[in-house]
Amino acid sequence: MPRPIFTLADVTVTRGPDTQHVHPLLGVGLEVRPGRCTGLVGPSGAGKTTLLRLLNRMEEPAAGRVCFHDRPLADYDVRELRRRVGLVQQVPVLLAETVAAELRIGRPRLSDEAVADLLDRVGLPPAFAGRGSASLSGGEGQRVCLARALAVEPVVLLLDEPTSALDAVAAAAVERIVAELVGAGLTVVLVSHDLRQAGRLADDLVVVVAGAVVAAGPAAAVFAEPGHAAAAAYLQGVS
Amino acid sequence: MSSGALVPTWTGVVVSGLLAGVALVVVVRARIGLAGEVAVAVVRAAVQLVAVGALLRLLFVHTGLPGSLGWVTAMVLIAGRVAGRRGRGVPRSYAVATAGVAVGVAATVGVLVGAGIIASEPRVVVPVGGMVVSTAMQGAALTLLRLADEVRSGRRQVEARLALGRSGAAAFAPHVRAALRTALTPAIDNTKVVGLISLPGAMTGLILAGVPPLTAIRYQIVVMYMLLGAVSLSAAVTAALARRTLFDDAERLRELVPDQPVARSRKLRTASR
Repeated sequence: MPRPIFTLADVTVTRGPDTQHVHPLLGVGLEVRPGRCTGLVGPSGAGKTTLLRLLNRMEEPAAGRVCFHDRPLADYDVRELRRRVGLVQQVPVLLAETVAAELRIGRPRLSDEAVADLLDRVGLPPAFAGRGSASLSGGEGQRVCLARALAVEPVVLLLDEPTSALDAVAAAAVERIVAELVGAGLTVVLVSHDLRQAGRLADDLVVVVAGAVVAAGPAAAVFAEPGHAAAAAYLQGVS
Repeated sequence: MSSGALVPTWTGVVVSGLLAGVALVVVVRARIGLAGEVAVAVVRAAVQLVAVGALLRLLFVHTGLPGSLGWVTAMVLIAGRVAGRRGRGVPRSYAVATAGVAVGVAATVGVLVGAGIIASEPRVVVPVGGMVVSTAMQGAALTLLRLADEVRSGRRQVEARLALGRSGAAAFAPHVRAALRTALTPAIDNTKVVGLISLPGAMTGLILAGVPPLTAIRYQIVVMYMLLGAVSLSAAVTAALARRTLFDDAERLRELVPDQPVARSRKLRTASR
């Protein structure tokens, strides 16, 4: 089996004053395997997003170790790390005037052909390059955010509930794109409160309850045998 | 030509008190319960100004330039406290604001005195310093106020840029630009309309003191340019320093710090009044 791309050991995250509503992470251990989709599921406020944000150093552990390719995250130049570990937020956050400019934020010298290619990867026609960012629907915006993250050619993509702000049709489209990216070999870590979505997309499943990982492993195995009362309660309660 | 004194005598001051008496009569007759406040205001104005006059005389006559610079330094420290409070939540906002004001004041007053544009005498340095400090304070205060708002409302945008591998400085640049625009607009507008909708203090004072208008405006032009320079520098330095305190070593936008105990107790006091 290939080495894990991320390894977390005994990770504790204490909460700041603005985030009291989220559970702190207490001694979390986790492995993320390359070329697969790892789903982080659990009730809201359990610490899923905190866990995700540890992986591109948007969050810093108070204790414990987070390794990327077996080296502590702090060993990497943080900007280089974030270019290799892309992030798409829950709500589409558009920053530039046009879609093409949006895709060039992380990679200013992107050619027009490359812009068209990226748009194609997220199922948008080349003509979208000239569209104003403000004129996009939620689903289109989220696809542009995906393309913007892909523009810097990450080896891992972190997705923080990428479809929760979208209607069913747009959500299904984004899901299809994610499945294609994983199929093409990209490592994806997906936070989702939608267990069915996680079931459709995730190869591996991590159940987070009250700031702790209560179950982890291949998705089918975790669904079949959670092995922990809190995990079982969560998986049954939602499905 | 003139029928009165160039500067009022003490007798004149006492007689002008009759005008304050008019205010007292108006509020008493209108029964709006402000008589006490008017009386206090009238006495306070006189006492404060006499005290300041005495202090300035002491500075001008006895302590010379070093005393005046000490006075300006004290004003800078007070201005830093006032402006720093506007940036509540921004880490070390008091130090940031004080540094911004200090740089704005030191640079502009330094250039004016150094180039011999204004005299290095206490009676020039103190009032000019006062004008520069209050303008620089507004620049620092508006910058911090807006930056704190930008952090609250723009965190997602900043983090989206950081997640694409941008530096903290690059990710925060649009927000710094917004803060500088806010901070500089009032000073730019004041500079535009000077003389049209306002006859500013320095020029008014010189004219009152008998200086010909075309001479007085030379001073005012210098003052306007000086204030514009001071507010720009103060705002730019404040924004640059605030940006540094707002990001940590791992290019992360920090959480705004919660209200300090001082601020909280002030709020309680106001509420219980």
